[in-house]
Amino acid sequence: MWDTFITLMITVLLFIYDFVGQNFGWAIIIFTVLVRLVTYPLTAKQMKSSKAMQELQGSKKWNDIQKKYKGDKEALAQKQMEIYKEMGISPFGSCLPLLVQFPVIIGLYQAIIRALAVTPIQLVNLSKHISDGANLIPIHSQFWWMDLSEPERLTMFGVAVPVLAILVVITSYIQTKMVTPPTQGTADAGGQGAQMTKAMSLYMPFFMGYLALTFASGLALYFIATNLATIAQYVLTGQADFKNILPKLPARS
Amino acid sequence: MKTMKKYFLILLLVLIALSLSACTGRRVAATGWSEITLKEDIAYFSYGPQVYALNVKNGAQQWVYPVEAETGIDFYAAPVFADNETQLIVASYDSNLYSINPATGRENWSFTGAENRYVAAPLVIEQGIFAPSSDNKLYGVDLNGIPLWEPFETGEPIWASPAWSESCGCIYVASMDHILYAISPETGSLLWKTEDLGGPIVSQPAVSESGLVIVSTFNNEIVALDEKSHRVEWRFHTPDWAWASPVIDGEQVYTSDLSGTFYALELASGKLLWQLQPGGSIVSAPLVQDGQIYFATDASSLVVVSTDGVVQRNLPIEGKLYASPASNGDIILLAPSEAEFFLIALNQNGTQIWGYPPAE
Repeated sequence: MWDTFITLMITVLLFIYDFVGQNFGWAIIIFTVLVRLVTYPLTAKQMKSSKAMQELQGSKKWNDIQKKYKGDKEALAQKQMEIYKEMGISPFGSCLPLLVQFPVIIGLYQAIIRALAVTPIQLVNLSKHISDGANLIPIHSQFWWMDLSEPERLTMFGVAVPVLAILVVITSYIQTKMVTPPTQGTADAGGQGAQMTKAMSLYMPFFMGYLALTFASGLALYFIATNLATIAQYVLTGQADFKNILPKLPARS
Repeated sequence: MKTMKKYFLILLLVLIALSLSACTGRRVAATGWSEITLKEDIAYFSYGPQVYALNVKNGAQQWVYPVEAETGIDFYAAPVFADNETQLIVASYDSNLYSINPATGRENWSFTGAENRYVAAPLVIEQGIFAPSSDNKLYGVDLNGIPLWEPFETGEPIWASPAWSESCGCIYVASMDHILYAISPETGSLLWKTEDLGGPIVSQPAVSESGLVIVSTFNNEIVALDEKSHRVEWRFHTPDWAWASPVIDGEQVYTSDLSGTFYALELASGKLLWQLQPGGSIVSAPLVQDGQIYFATDASSLVVVSTDGVVQRNLPIEGKLYASPASNGDIILLAPSEAEFFLIALNQNGTQIWGYPPAE
């Protein structure tokens, strides 16, 4: 079943590749945007759940129970569940759509790498996914200054600069900040979860940047395209909070 | 609950990272295979980042090059002898051509002129060493690695080893640009070329004594060209891409395609004599020895068939077989991929004698 799914993705990717004049870079970008559009209902659901959760966690009621049951985790969890039920919010509402998107993300990446087929065995395997695509072989992996099958570096004034990896870090940071709600309520309300969120929003872009630095630049291009698509979705639905992007300075006492 | 959600998110990110890493390794996974070169009791072959010399009788390692595997180097091309067998030439995925001393495994020289990966083995003839590259060019160097002429450029990467034609006095270079080029080894200049043959060519052409050049193409065809008239003599249609090099044996041509069908054709006319479909794709040329044909499939089998098309044996082998079988007359060597051993030796009954690397 997974193989059928990948074959479908490769077929669409190569159709776009052929349609845009055999340019694999544009094929990745267009394909990523298309996949984001197809999975938009899931993303919208996730955004809606996140927003509801964000509003709930900023509410007085929520903060009050955090304070009240500070020392009793069990009772706190029970009360939180009651509030979720009362407000009609599923605590995993924003996670489940993400979970459904997980195979799509992995499938998309596998399709990109398999379609590139820069080595003999990859080409043998690709032949099993495309019944009549000999006219597309070899797949041209050059896109601007990049070879999409190799990690990217742009030599400027004698220095090899990983431009894509830097762009991945920047767009991942903006995207993460937009998606992650700001820590609200009291310090207790934020607690361990809030610290974890903060740490993730800081480390995640660097982690993505490391992947972009190390792996084929086709992956980095995909990261950038998907980050920009997510940012665009937030902007177009009016849910982008640009104030959240800049780090907050500690308030003067 | 909130904490649980965060742990869940972290777990998800780790899963994504692991999945992506599994897909790529350090970069796009370097996956290829090497043919085996035999010289007396020594087998030379490449696997991943190293080239090996093993004793054919017992699989004992003679040397390995480089001694420590290096990141960024992979060898897909078969090692080939040069300079009265005093040099072993190996083309690497790091875009370099290496000359190794076949007795010691030490490097003699390297040629670093190519701009992209070597996938196919170079052709070594009296006039020099001719290495095809994924940068679309054919490089000609002498026995010291010094360029003979400006590289000859085709329209797409060259994954096929060039072939030498005694009667034409030329090198045939088949490119992924669908064209077969005849090149002068002395000057590197074009002597003649075919029209577009309809599909990429990734395997070495076969040249017959009667002056036919036979190529397998991804246009689902085996095409025979006349060396003198440069015209297409015959075409044989296959249901899938034809990858493997054709092998000429007397008046027959043995070839195959990725549908897993093996064909025996009449050399002069391209008429089908017999065919077999044992399962799996066939990407390597067959070995013809003592009236028997050995061909490998990626469905983990070595098929032994008589020259009139009767299957003698179908031996299950662990791993996928992309490389051609090799033999010194007594022992058959196979280089499976995705298997415990990356070189195995079978006796004539098909029983495994040894595997390399040896089991711990």
